[in-house]
Amino acid sequence: MRVMAGLIENEALKILRRKRFRIVLIVLAAILSLVVFAQDRQRRNQRRDNPTLDWRAGVEKRATELERRMNERRVPENFKRWMRYESGRLRYHLSKNLNPNEITGPIFTRAFAGVGSVLLIPLLVAVFGADLVSSEFAEGTITLLLTRPVSRWKVLLSKVVAMGLFTTLTLLAAFFLAWGISGVAFGWSGWGAPILTGFRLGGASPAAGFDLSGVRMVALWQDTFAAWGLAWFSALAVGSITLLLSVVFRSAAAAMGTMMATLVGGTILSRIASDWDGAKWFFVTNLPLPDYYAGLPTPFEGMTLAFSVWVLFGWALAALAAAFVLFTRRDVTA
Amino acid sequence: MAYNCRVSASEVVLSAEGLAKRYGDREVVSDVSFALHRGEVFGFLGPNGAGKTTTIRMLVGLVKPSRGRVVIDGHDLGTDFEAAMRRVGCIVETPDLYKFLTGRENLEHFARMVGDGAAGRIDTLAALVHMDGRLDGLVRTYSLGMRQRVGIAQALLSDPAVLILDEPTNGLDPAGIREMRELVRRLAGEHGLAVFVSSHLLSEVEKMVDRIAIVHRGRTLAAGTLAELTDGGKRGLEDLFLELTGGETV
Ligand SMILES: Nc1ncnc2c1ncn2[C@@H]1O[C@H](COP(=O)(O)OP(=O)(O)OP(=O)(O)O)[C@@H](O)[C@H]1O
Ligand SMILES: [Mg+2]
Repeated sequence: MRVMAGLIENEALKILRRKRFRIVLIVLAAILSLVVFAQDRQRRNQRRDNPTLDWRAGVEKRATELERRMNERRVPENFKRWMRYESGRLRYHLSKNLNPNEITGPIFTRAFAGVGSVLLIPLLVAVFGADLVSSEFAEGTITLLLTRPVSRWKVLLSKVVAMGLFTTLTLLAAFFLAWGISGVAFGWSGWGAPILTGFRLGGASPAAGFDLSGVRMVALWQDTFAAWGLAWFSALAVGSITLLLSVVFRSAAAAMGTMMATLVGGTILSRIASDWDGAKWFFVTNLPLPDYYAGLPTPFEGMTLAFSVWVLFGWALAALAAAFVLFTRRDVTA
Repeated sequence: MAYNCRVSASEVVLSAEGLAKRYGDREVVSDVSFALHRGEVFGFLGPNGAGKTTTIRMLVGLVKPSRGRVVIDGHDLGTDFEAAMRRVGCIVETPDLYKFLTGRENLEHFARMVGDGAAGRIDTLAALVHMDGRLDGLVRTYSLGMRQRVGIAQALLSDPAVLILDEPTNGLDPAGIREMRELVRRLAGEHGLAVFVSSHLLSEVEKMVDRIAIVHRGRTLAAGTLAELTDGGKRGLEDLFLELTGGETV
């Protein structure tokens, strides 16, 4: 056990001294600043153009617009479903006299869990995950690492733990940076605000209604906690798959490149290939857990939050198992 | 010197028995057997491509033998990896360390893997390899000679019975070669280590080893003391080497 603690300390030291984690923090801060700046500008412009408009009229207008467009024939089916969902959500907010477009630092932070877990957070996890093992091969240090009195599975386990540790740190950093930076523009308080969640479409067909049976009002902090917890879970799945690629490839660039291509490709797939529902078994399709938790329409039929959690869990487990088998059996020849 | 070595009951501290390694359908090592004794320097000689590095990789568990086994200080490497590896230190091919860490951080890194008070030996070992006072620079800035020394200090962290060096004088200048030779002799003579040194440079090995084995095309062809192999000095080692290997490389 003492040796395990030492091994984990070693891995943490290497990640920090390679300066990978610093890159993660810098990218997060830069992107969040940009997004907050853009959103703040947009809000100011709207206020300037329409200083007298009250929020109810604005939301009403938007819902009507969505309902008109979702009946147009040329709109893709996927998009129609989203519009149906969005108009239903807006109308329900109107009926409860709650402003759905209200923005505060905490609301931004909650929303970022969903947006970030699709592409940004997985990419950042890949930045430090991709070279956990491959760099040892590339730099030749694997021969020393594996000729010490420590079994190979323990060496890999320490890397898995380090991956989990730094994934957690990435999520914590993303959370606090999102809150801290958005708070500058939108204010830091408002965690106790009530928000509506749990909207669901009744079914795939346009005729199916909007399912309100699951709608509930919760405090924002509760919803945020659940959303970020789910984002953390999908980041861990991404970390496990990245670790497998890192064992397979001898170069960090190849591992990271493959992961990025997979993430971007998978995102495209779930946007355009909505009639091939085999794609729902692909891990990338299931990454936006916070969105599915909020009830946003899933890209394929038959997907639920539980389904996605289990699919990701299966991928992570299989990736880790494959990584252990490969790493402990492989001849180290160069 | 605070650096001490354990006295083991048996004289043989490492034995390789019928080692073979097949890559695809090519047998790179076919039959390599030898025994290492306490306090001796053992030369493993062979032309390029003879299978020296492959054999060393099998001795330290990097490559799994297709046949045969390795026993280190009474522990079978295949079934008792951790106990066996505690008794060995090695440098395979080049002394690759973490370049973005300092020499000391590298030693601390590997000391944490060894446990057992290894961190407390770092300064003693640094002095032994003449790296005292130079451990705090980044490895990136070290010369090959310095990396070789830190590599040896690293190999000695677990207080091993066997030290395995793959062409340790490769790339060193004449002063470095002499110093390496003296260090190897001292580790065997004063500290009782069995040192295994592979090389294709006959002249180098002649001056530092007690016994040698000649390996060619993955087989050990001749083994013994220098005097035995050269008929008490009547034949040159080089002649014997060329005769056994047919003057060819693989
Ligand atoms: N992973 C591998 N796959 C296939 N063949 C290999 C592999 N590694 C080594 N070989 C082959 O095995 C033979 C022995 O290689 P090895 O590195 O053990 O020789 P060596 O005695 O150390 O040579 P040198 O003196 O040049 O270092 C070479 O012909 C090499 O091409
Ligand atoms: Mg070699």
